[in-house]
Order: sequence, then structure tokens, then C-alpha cells
Amino acid sequence: MGPEITHHPLARADGSATLSSNLYTVLAAVSGPIEVQRRDELPEEAAIEVNIRPSSGVGGPRERWLESVVTAVLRSVLLVHMHPRTLVQVTLQLTRAPTVKLKGAVGDVAALPTLVNAAVLALVDGGLPMASTVVAALVAVSREGGVGVEPGEKGLVGCGSVHALAYTLHGEMLLNESAGSFGVEQWGEVADAAERACVAAMGPGGQDEEMVNGASEATPWLRQELEERARDAVAWRDAT
Amino acid sequence: MATSTILLPGQTVPVSGLPKTKKGTLTLGPGLYHTPPATITATTSGNLQTDPRKGALWLDHGHGRYLPAVNDLVIAQVHHGSTDNYSCIITPHTPYALLGQLAFEGASRKTRPKLESGDLVYARVLSAGKGEDVEIECFNSATGKAEGMGPLKNGFVFDVSPSFARRLMMGSDKEGRSKGGVVVLEEVGEKVRFEVAVGRNGRVWIDSGSVRETIAIGQLLKRADEEDLGVEAQKKFAKKMLKDV
Repeated sequence: MGPEITHHPLARADGSATLSSNLYTVLAAVSGPIEVQRRDELPEEAAIEVNIRPSSGVGGPRERWLESVVTAVLRSVLLVHMHPRTLVQVTLQLTRAPTVKLKGAVGDVAALPTLVNAAVLALVDGGLPMASTVVAALVAVSREGGVGVEPGEKGLVGCGSVHALAYTLHGEMLLNESAGSFGVEQWGEVADAAERACVAAMGPGGQDEEMVNGASEATPWLRQELEERARDAVAWRDAT
Repeated sequence: MATSTILLPGQTVPVSGLPKTKKGTLTLGPGLYHTPPATITATTSGNLQTDPRKGALWLDHGHGRYLPAVNDLVIAQVHHGSTDNYSCIITPHTPYALLGQLAFEGASRKTRPKLESGDLVYARVLSAGKGEDVEIECFNSATGKAEGMGPLKNGFVFDVSPSFARRLMMGSDKEGRSKGGVVVLEEVGEKVRFEVAVGRNGRVWIDSGSVRETIAIGQLLKRADEEDLGVEAQKKFAKKMLKDV
């Protein structure tokens, strides 16, 4: 099943995408490589600027923290040395957030996977060079110790801890943020579940994956989306 | 000739996909980068295309903004001039491209085109190194001839995607069919007289007798690009437009 995705909704951005997970909907827009301000210029690589706007208001310290985390993830995946002295500008606008009040850091960490996934889709739409495909997953651990990938609002409200992890095509972990109380073994289970979900999202299609906790995140949604876009781009070749 | 392998960013090209050439060298086009000794990785998602004759491989994708490459023909707009160069815009939000004041056919200090801010030129990319300013010129510095380049007077510029512009510039094959699958300009050209210049940076300059015709042709092109029209649909809309004009 996977999240809902629309591709290239914005005509004036180099790359754009919207992504709707169980909890959040994000509109991502990417411009680059574009001109960089003298003070932000880096001599050997592209500068990355991430702007996150919440669903209401202009954003405060929470959004600045999210920006720093997303910037770090994108910097490890974009090929910044291909475009020195330029800027890659990513804007992430949250258009839908859970209506329930999430306590403290839980709400912050829960938004990360949707933000990262939307940013990656927009970067690919814009053709920015990347070292690898990246997928992020949200995992919640209930008070009883049950591990669930991509929880809904109910799973989040009563949870003991929540974790945001991202993996590349080659299985490297790029993001690991957690909130709540948990032990090392629990984190190990969480990491395994997240890695399975992320690798499945990028995997070659048509393979049977075991269902994790009944949720249908085993579909290779990212690969299917990107392959469909790639096929559309060369549809004109088959016609001639 | 075209394989239908779709690659995701970070996926390596399978060795079986590499064309074999007599000299044993490969030329990599956009979307691929080489990690020595023998790994070729995709940098974005797209279709892997190979040309066995030239030993070339590249990724075909419709994405993103135009990145200047040497020898590309572009339509640049002059922003301002200084003693040595004109500063021109090739793509929005990027540093200016430099066009030498004497980079025109037969130009000397006394006889050179005086370009104003906002003027358009059809130029060739001379150099576009990593991290350096882009330089363009309006003549072929090897032969000294203009070869169709130079200032563009009158007319109107329309924005299309860089991949559509590339298709427009592909030309026709032996039977006269358009290699890029775009027949709009040929269809319109049978009834209406107009001049056209296509810039690889996603700009098309059109000058027809009347404003009405120019705008109609430009809108037809934009529609073919935005709605991804096939050859039949392009012919249909071209005929419809010719009737209205």
C-alpha cells in the first residue's frame, strides 16, 4: 500500500512532491543547484538549506531542530562535490498533522520520516545527483513492548517510545532519532523492523515479503513510484 | 539500441549492460558517475540508454533544471554589460554567464553589436567548469563564423522543459520523421511562415508575421510539453490551432 504520493505538483520548483503517511502530509519543493549567498558559499561543495514550515504558524525551535536533522541526512546522500559554490534549497511544508496532542519529543520525532521521504522524492524529481536512494520509517513501541512500523494516531498516543530511522539502498543507517523510554534490546528490535521496512520499500518489485505486525509496509512503494516516473519520462521514445 | 533498465539513485549498472567498443573506452553521459576501477553508479532515477557504436551510456530522465554543458546552443538574455563582457542569464537563480563583447562574427572594437539590457542572443556554451562562471559566445571561435548565432530581434520567448528542448533539437531520421517525437513545428510550418530558435536551456524563440500567430505557436509547444502529447495528438492540436488563427 505505502504512502500516497503526488509527483511534480509545483511547476516553478525544480523538483517537488507531496507525501501522505498515516500521520502527516508534507509538500516538498527543491531548487538547485542555484546561486548561493557569499556568506553561505562552500568552496568545494554545494550548500544545503532546509526550510520546514509547520501546518500552522511560522515555526520555532522545534522546526529548527527538524531542519538540522533533515539537513544532516540529506548531506550524507546528496553528491555535494558535483556542484561546488552552489545551493540546494529544500522547502518542506507540513499540510496535515495529527489532531491529537502528542507529548513533547514524540511529536517531533514522529514527523521526521515523512519529512525525509518527501524531501528525497522531491530531490529525485529535481534530478539532483544522489549517492543512494534513502527511505525513512517510523516505528513505535507500545507500553507492552510491541513493535509497530508506521503507527497511526492511536499507536502514537499510548506508546512507550517512538523511533525515526532511515536506511540507504545498501542498508546503511542515516537517521536514528528516538523519543520516550526504551532499552537497548528494544532498540535492536526497532532497528531490525525499520531496516526491513525500508529495504522492502526500495526492493525489486514482485517479491513476497512477510507482513510485519499486520501492517502492509512490505510493498516496494518507492521503487514503484520512481520506476513509473522513469517510464513516463521516456514514453515518447516508444511512440516514435 | 535502447534498453529498458530503470535505475534508482545509487544502483550500479550491471556489467552486462555495458556496451563493448573496439578501443575498450566508455563515454559516460548525464546521470552516471564512475568510481574507479570499474563501478558505474546512477545518480538519479531514469532509464539507462546505451549507444553501442559510440560506446556511450547515459540516464534518460525528464527531470530538473538545465546544467550548462560545452557546445550546447542556448538562448541567453543580456542583463547588463561591462567593458569586457555582457552578463547574461541562461537559467534563473544562477550566476550570470559571460558573453565577450567581441564574441561575435567579424567583431572588432569599432564594429560590434551594441546589446541592451533585456536583449536576447543565440549563443554556444564555451566553457562550464565545476564551480566556475559559465562563458558563452555568439560565433564558432574555431571557424570564426556565426553559424546562426547572434542577437535575436523581435519575436517572443517561451519556456519549455530542458528535456523537451532536447527532443526538439534531435532532428529527423532518414525517413524524415522527427527523432524526438515532436512534429508540432513541422505541422505549423506547412501553413504559417515563422522563424524559430531552440535553446537547450529550455527556451524557444519564435518570430512570426503577427503577434497572434507567434503566441499560438508558442502555446502549442508548451502544451505539447506540459501534457506530454503524442505525435497524433500534436498533429490534431496543430490543425485545430491553424484553423483558429
